[in-house]
Amino acid sequence: MDEHTLRYEKIDFLGEGQFATVYKARDVKTDKIVAVKKIKIGSRLEAQDGINRTALREIKLLQELQHVNLIGLLDVFGQKSNVSLVFDFMDTDLEIIVKDNNIVLTPANVKAYTIMTLKGLEYLHQNWILHRDLKPNNLLINREGILKIGDFGLAKAFGSPTRINTHQVVTRWYRSPELLFGARQYGTGVDMWAIGCILAELLLRVPFLPGESDLDQLSRIFQVFGTPNEEIWPGMKGLTDYVQFKQFPPQQLRHIFSAASDDLIQLLESLLAIYPPKRCDCTQALQMPYFSNKPAPTVGCKLPMPSNITRMEFEKPSLKRKLLENIDGGSLAKRLQF
Amino acid sequence: MAGNFWQSSHHQQWILDKTDLIRDRQHDLSILSDEEYQKIFNFFASIIQVLGEQLKLRQQVIATATVYFKRFYARNSLKCIDPLLLAPTCVFLASKVEEFGVISNSRLITTCQTVIKNKFGYAYGQQEFPYRTNHILECEFYLLENLDCCLIVYQPYRPLLLFVQDIGQEDQLLTYAWRIVNDSLRTDVSLLYPPYQIAIAALHIACVMLGKENQKSWFAELNVDMDKIQEIVRSIINLYEMWKSYDEKKEIQGLLAKMPKPKPAPQR
Repeated sequence: MDEHTLRYEKIDFLGEGQFATVYKARDVKTDKIVAVKKIKIGSRLEAQDGINRTALREIKLLQELQHVNLIGLLDVFGQKSNVSLVFDFMDTDLEIIVKDNNIVLTPANVKAYTIMTLKGLEYLHQNWILHRDLKPNNLLINREGILKIGDFGLAKAFGSPTRINTHQVVTRWYRSPELLFGARQYGTGVDMWAIGCILAELLLRVPFLPGESDLDQLSRIFQVFGTPNEEIWPGMKGLTDYVQFKQFPPQQLRHIFSAASDDLIQLLESLLAIYPPKRCDCTQALQMPYFSNKPAPTVGCKLPMPSNITRMEFEKPSLKRKLLENIDGGSLAKRLQF
Repeated sequence: MAGNFWQSSHHQQWILDKTDLIRDRQHDLSILSDEEYQKIFNFFASIIQVLGEQLKLRQQVIATATVYFKRFYARNSLKCIDPLLLAPTCVFLASKVEEFGVISNSRLITTCQTVIKNKFGYAYGQQEFPYRTNHILECEFYLLENLDCCLIVYQPYRPLLLFVQDIGQEDQLLTYAWRIVNDSLRTDVSLLYPPYQIAIAALHIACVMLGKENQKSWFAELNVDMDKIQEIVRSIINLYEMWKSYDEKKEIQGLLAKMPKPKPAPQR
């Protein structure tokens, strides 16, 4: 296992979460840049539990999944309960991009991010896996402009009708109303709702429903979509944590997202349907007119990047272009290089 | 988990070739005969089964633990890690992977101690279970590495339920076939064949045992490689043949003594 510790040269500290610390590292063997996620050992009691369960969940799922829009697990190493996972290195994430005021998100950019997210999630759902923790921060983007869904620590197989799930998943702002009401049997709808909130955030550039508590979250949802009744949501009152809310009338989404095209509003309405069975799934979403209408999604290499990420290798003009310029004779003196 | 078997690591990496398997076992088979080797695995499969039952695990978890155990030794000699340590480690890892609540390490060790003392005294005599939590934790990672991090194992139980449903509700048939699938864990079939084929083979044996001639047409209509099914059937029948003339209680001490062992032995 020593060969492993030597194989990855630490370059930089990237971040720290509840369960892990992430480093940027160079794979000495392949000279590739990777992300090493070192799982925290936690308390002595946890150490007695052996390999961390969250890490195991991530390992077992990612080992079975291969998709361009899902983060790739490259290697696992460590000793005893001290485990590290090696992932594709991703330069940035959607949270950073949304918050970066220097970046303009055009409708074509928004469409590109949404398509990549939906394709990755479609593959997950086809494999009967719920992500359960989708948020801009978990949608990772590399300098080629490829978006990959990351952080499978909460992901879980679904589909068993008898299985009771916990409702304490998904960061609150992206949590669906059924989870907030304490539903224990839920499906792909929880991920679809989160995608709807993320898409809304791409348009608004601030979180769409930033609830301060679970009740405030529901209240914010109902202030936009109207307080549902038994007719709109049969069975709602039977949910564990159901509470009666003040009656809010539904608002028109086109008033909130005034710059959004009609086809985009249609997609949002379908992703953010209050009654879970009414929500579209990924395949249905990808077939909606929004994705075939103009503008076409931005190609990966043209998607914006935070300014601190250099894109050198992609800005070199292609050989073909150089040749063409030479034929034209139009290529002027080379720019001065400093 | 559900997912797609055909794209799974189980199908793509862990359906082994019989000749490769025999080659990788060469070291152990230079010390033990084929039959002795099988008897030793039979014994440790029993330990895993009893341990799992004592810990009230579902059969699915027990089966996964057994397959981990077999996969580990498909690549490693018995002298690599004492199977008496690897067996509970497999149970520990499988219970976590299958999201089966929490088995505390201390409960696992205590259960090992009682099980070895009360149920397998004929093999270990007065010896106590020699391992502690730290051994299991160290072994767990080694196991994960040797499994190439492939943790999801598909089992024949789910396809079996579907097939029995398709044949028509038959409790007796399911009970028999289910037990035969359990028995198949004592053979190499889980390393060599996909689980749905094992399920069909188990059903086939069960039908013959129960004299259910009228199920012939159901088998005839299957679009499946019947040669493979026959190979699985043969492996399981061979196991039953072996059991007829085998008294584990008498032989196992000698076999364990002969088994290749890690050096140095763990500290007591």
